[in-house]
Amino acid sequence: MFSFHLLLNVIVAGILLGGFYAAVSLGITLAFGLLNVVNIAHPAFVILGSYAAFVVNSRFGLDPILAGLLFMPVFFLLGIGVYRIYYASFEKRAEESLRGLVFFFGIIFIIEVSLSLQYGVDYRSVHAAYVGDSFRLGPIELAFRLAIPCAMALVLTLALHLFLSRTFYGRAVKAVSQDHLALRLMGADPVRIKGLAFGIAIATASLAGALLIMIGPVEPSIGREYIGRVFAIAVLGGMGSIGGTLVAALILGVLESLTSTFYGPSWALAVSFGILLLVLAVRPSGLVGRAG
Amino acid sequence: MEAGYGAVRVLHGVSIEIHEGETVVLLGTNGNGKSTLMKCIMGIVRPDAGEIVLETDGRRTNLVGRSPEEIVNLGIALVPEGRRLFPVLTVEENLRLGAYRRAARPDLERNLAFCFEAFPVLRERQRQLAGSMSGGEQQMLAVARALMSNPRILLIDEPSVGLAPILVSRVIAKIRELKEIYQLTVLMAEQNFNQATKIADRGYIIVHGQIEFEGHSTRELTEHALVKKYYLGV
Ligand SMILES: Nc1ncnc2c1ncn2[C@@H]1O[C@H](COP(=O)(O)OP(=O)(O)OP(=O)(O)O)[C@@H](O)[C@H]1O
Ligand SMILES: [Mg+2]
Repeated sequence: MFSFHLLLNVIVAGILLGGFYAAVSLGITLAFGLLNVVNIAHPAFVILGSYAAFVVNSRFGLDPILAGLLFMPVFFLLGIGVYRIYYASFEKRAEESLRGLVFFFGIIFIIEVSLSLQYGVDYRSVHAAYVGDSFRLGPIELAFRLAIPCAMALVLTLALHLFLSRTFYGRAVKAVSQDHLALRLMGADPVRIKGLAFGIAIATASLAGALLIMIGPVEPSIGREYIGRVFAIAVLGGMGSIGGTLVAALILGVLESLTSTFYGPSWALAVSFGILLLVLAVRPSGLVGRAG
Repeated sequence: MEAGYGAVRVLHGVSIEIHEGETVVLLGTNGNGKSTLMKCIMGIVRPDAGEIVLETDGRRTNLVGRSPEEIVNLGIALVPEGRRLFPVLTVEENLRLGAYRRAARPDLERNLAFCFEAFPVLRERQRQLAGSMSGGEQQMLAVARALMSNPRILLIDEPSVGLAPILVSRVIAKIRELKEIYQLTVLMAEQNFNQATKIADRGYIIVHGQIEFEGHSTRELTEHALVKKYYLGV
């Protein structure tokens, strides 16, 4: 039975889900959209973030969001390390296209296998007092386990936007793949800038992972479900636009929410591939793609 | 200095000297090595032999072996061949990136205001993407972006390329004006003899990677046979 009340709640749930998708996709927007690094392993890093939050939550009872924030510096350094290896092995020799992809496949494999060996393939989840609660806003029911990730994702989006538009490093990150020699002529070292930006991209995976395991239980290979989604969002968002990523993530969240409610959850994953194909066919520059 | 690309030798025993406050022009037609010389100074191409020495405040610094970033930080800026703007950043973002080096950051707002005053079109177009500007506007932006780094030495590689004659005069006049205000030392590569000698104190003529002639004044350059042959068509 169709009801306005149901529709409203489905849309709100979709917006909350979409906000979370933005948190997962921002790292791809940075790496793929701005640095031209096809990091298909990003969702695997997100899962790594989930397990980091899981471990400190189950051992020390630390709040999962706090855990996600605390691990950001570690992930930042991890990202810089991964980029250094990627740069020295592939990018420096201009062999990044195919071999780079294999490299990131390798990382997915390493992360999944290590997590499976260490923690098994069972679903894991985190505990926090507020996770099961919800609150009412008029006719709308808001679950904390969805509302908090969405709010955190908005904060992350805003922080990245400010970083890219207001700081010298941020502007250099936006410029680095447009003309790296010109960037050197401004006095910035492109390899350092890309390392820094990749570190930030991976740091976002720490927080996104904590949000993911708050929303629902996680197992080592669940990241695969997100590869299609995050690339669909990055492309729809205009490849490299932070605001575009947020809007695209919200659109995907709402469409998925509608699809899984009215057609069944198994169709939800098809939405992102549908969007990806449609955008590539109709408007390859995405929603807010800049010309040129 | 000797330099080249792999097996291709481009510069053969080139030696030039630029004093503080001078505007020196490097004249040469296509493919004679002007840009290669500029790239050597900026550390983009590493010379095979020779020295590039910067003398500031009584200190001698050899630039050979230093990275472009280090050289920029010594106060040398290049307006490169082909302008090399960041096409999908706005005019303002391009200018702000020009002030990336630490020594330039404190003066950013002042330099930005100055660039907008010197090139009003950049103020009007500050939100426009650099890649969608006209050729003349892009050249002005390239010069302004280099000035944002607070350089003491400005290298300009063929500012006249692709511009209508009226625009060439305007850009060249602007460079002279900015040079006076910023008290710059300028090395400019050009093929446009008449325009370049409007602002140059003196110059060199480079042919096949060798300095063929050194003119101690623009008059000496004008009277030289090579100039008559190649540039004035006499
Ligand atoms: N990256 C490169 N690899 C190989 N050869 C190069 C490279 N860049 C320039 N050359 C060669 O070096 C020579 C000098 O080139 P350069 O760009 O310095 O000339 P130019 O005087 O600046 O010419 P133009 O006025 O056309 O810009 C040319 O023969 C050119 O083909
Ligand atoms: Mg040239």
